[in-house]
Amino acid sequence: MALPSPAPIPPVTSAGQAPGAPIIEIRGLTKRYKDFTAVDGIDLEVRTGEIFGILGPNGAGKTTTLEMIEGLRAPDAGSITVAGLDAIGQSDQVRKIIGVQLQSTSLFPYLSAAELVELFGHMYGTPNPKARVPDLLALVGLQDKAKARVEELSGGQAQRLSIALALVNQPKVTFLDEPTTGLDPHARRSLWETILGVRNAGTTVVLTTHYMEEAEVLCDRIAIMDGGHVIACDTPAGLIRALGQEATVSASLASAASVPDRVAFAAIPGVTVATVVDEQGETRVRLQTADAQATLVGLLDLAKERGLTLGDLSSTRATLEDVFIQRTGRTYVSEERGKEEREKRGRRRSARRM
Amino acid sequence: MQSFWAMLVANLKMSARNRAAFFWNIAFPAVFILIFPALFSSGIGGQPSVGITGADTPLRQQVVQALKDTGSFEIYEGSREEEQTALEKSDRSLVIVFPEGELSESSPLQLLTGQSDSPSSKIAVASVRSALLDILGQPQGIAVTQQQVADLNTRFIDFFTPGVLAMSIMNAGMIGLSTAFVGYRERGILRRIKVTPLPLWKFVLSRILAALAIVMVSCFALMAMAKIVWGLNVRGNWLLIVGVLALGGLAFLGIGYAIAAISRNVETAAVFGNALSFPMLFLSGVFIPVSSMPSWLQPVAYILPLRYLVDALRKPMMYGDGIGAVWVPLLVLAAIFLAGFGVAIRFFRWDATAK
Repeated sequence: MALPSPAPIPPVTSAGQAPGAPIIEIRGLTKRYKDFTAVDGIDLEVRTGEIFGILGPNGAGKTTTLEMIEGLRAPDAGSITVAGLDAIGQSDQVRKIIGVQLQSTSLFPYLSAAELVELFGHMYGTPNPKARVPDLLALVGLQDKAKARVEELSGGQAQRLSIALALVNQPKVTFLDEPTTGLDPHARRSLWETILGVRNAGTTVVLTTHYMEEAEVLCDRIAIMDGGHVIACDTPAGLIRALGQEATVSASLASAASVPDRVAFAAIPGVTVATVVDEQGETRVRLQTADAQATLVGLLDLAKERGLTLGDLSSTRATLEDVFIQRTGRTYVSEERGKEEREKRGRRRSARRM
Repeated sequence: MQSFWAMLVANLKMSARNRAAFFWNIAFPAVFILIFPALFSSGIGGQPSVGITGADTPLRQQVVQALKDTGSFEIYEGSREEEQTALEKSDRSLVIVFPEGELSESSPLQLLTGQSDSPSSKIAVASVRSALLDILGQPQGIAVTQQQVADLNTRFIDFFTPGVLAMSIMNAGMIGLSTAFVGYRERGILRRIKVTPLPLWKFVLSRILAALAIVMVSCFALMAMAKIVWGLNVRGNWLLIVGVLALGGLAFLGIGYAIAAISRNVETAAVFGNALSFPMLFLSGVFIPVSSMPSWLQPVAYILPLRYLVDALRKPMMYGDGIGAVWVPLLVLAAIFLAGFGVAIRFFRWDATAK
């Protein structure tokens, strides 16, 4: 499915800030729990009018970072400025100018979509909240669901509704914590359109995600987090360009009789990073390369020389996945698979409770 | 103010649309109102009670002993005034007034009964007459007068309805409110409120007012049902009764918030709520008067919050008593309310994780 690429449409800022001027500035932000440091002295800068993505695996510190900006958790060190306000000391003021979507459901039960939007409008003290309900529901594509109760909404519709609630106060910045987690691919893509619409209407968006593809397609700039650190921060194109590689060549090694070690693969012409991983009982080699053609030839030569049978041979354009591998030395996909499993279990548990 | 009213209206809508709450607040107690009076149609549980008063003569001692020997009566001895009042409240089947000296035409033994002429008072009168015959042995010369006193003519439904109202209030607070509030915490609704400018107290207060409104609606619906089906007779001042319902509601909402604060998840809250409310249902005089419970069990009722609500509701509703008769239970309920919210504030948590 083709999605309009997030071409930098000149954003209309309601906030009076010049597009591109920093709206959030974070310095040395740190959060420690008893035995580990969830966020370890990070610096970030979000610019007015952009979609800023925080990408990383489970436990990277994305949500903790977001919750410190929103005033839900107190940092142990560092400073946060949101639209010129100190988000730690003046969190009461900051609350009024930000919108928040939390990772959990967090919708009052037994109310309709329209009633909830109006209620939240009142909670923020916005003038005549009822009048804004149709526009907000239309913005998130729920105009037909105004009278539907929260319990009747699908997962994707509930996420859209909570995005509408994160916009009731016409915030300068809105925070979306893993807005597409748990959605099917169709609902996910359609939510991307909604988020682009929010940005294009002039609201700065900060979102977290653990989907590489989502960050690459949706975000204007991305901070990749891992283990409480920001390991890279740039536009998606900038991050990939900085890899200095054009593609990833990968293949499965069917006859694993004498698999050469990583060093042999790393010596293939053009290869910048070589990884050999076991994925579901199958050994795969992934070669990041600055010269796809030379690397393919080199790999085939190596296979012939060592009597290897290469299966599933492919060459793909470099992605954020390659950025993650280069910075951490680990692959991203296998970790995420474990997380999805945990999430499914978690959802089943909470479903039982209802 | 605008945000508070909007929250109050939203809470009323949520409460009105919650079918589980409707079941516990109205449907479940309604079944009690409809069925129990049919089972207990013979009257309030326990034995016929006989009041003894007047001069302390040898005859009196013999009659009391004879009645005690039958094992069929609850015997109360008190002043003439006390016993007459008890009779007027339908708390005695019979009151016997002994005269000074020998029985004679000018100083007869007086038997006082209520106007309702219940089977238990007939049994009591017959037992006393036969005891007198055994003691005095001369059927002709026994000087006895029998007289009816205007009494409240209370019936089982008058006794039972205040208990059921108290049960409904208890369920609304200890189970309904506590599980709903813990659910809000588990689903992140409390944290979502925290990131808005709305202060938490506005949310909690609007929730309390909505819950009190629901309590009132439920209680009046149950009373209407008891009136239509069983002819409930409410004797007391309505202002006092509404006040007791509200204070009772606050006390049990206080307990509900305390349970919510110390419960990790909805299941724990439900276990706490049920474990605490279930014994109260049977030991607080909802179904049988505390005075009819075994004497070793009666002190237990005095530490149960529900007993005080039952007491404070039953006195005005059943007997038409004024505030002077219920100020002690009302003070206890006020103390429970304060203690409950004290615990709730002390142990309050915004989110489900213990960080």
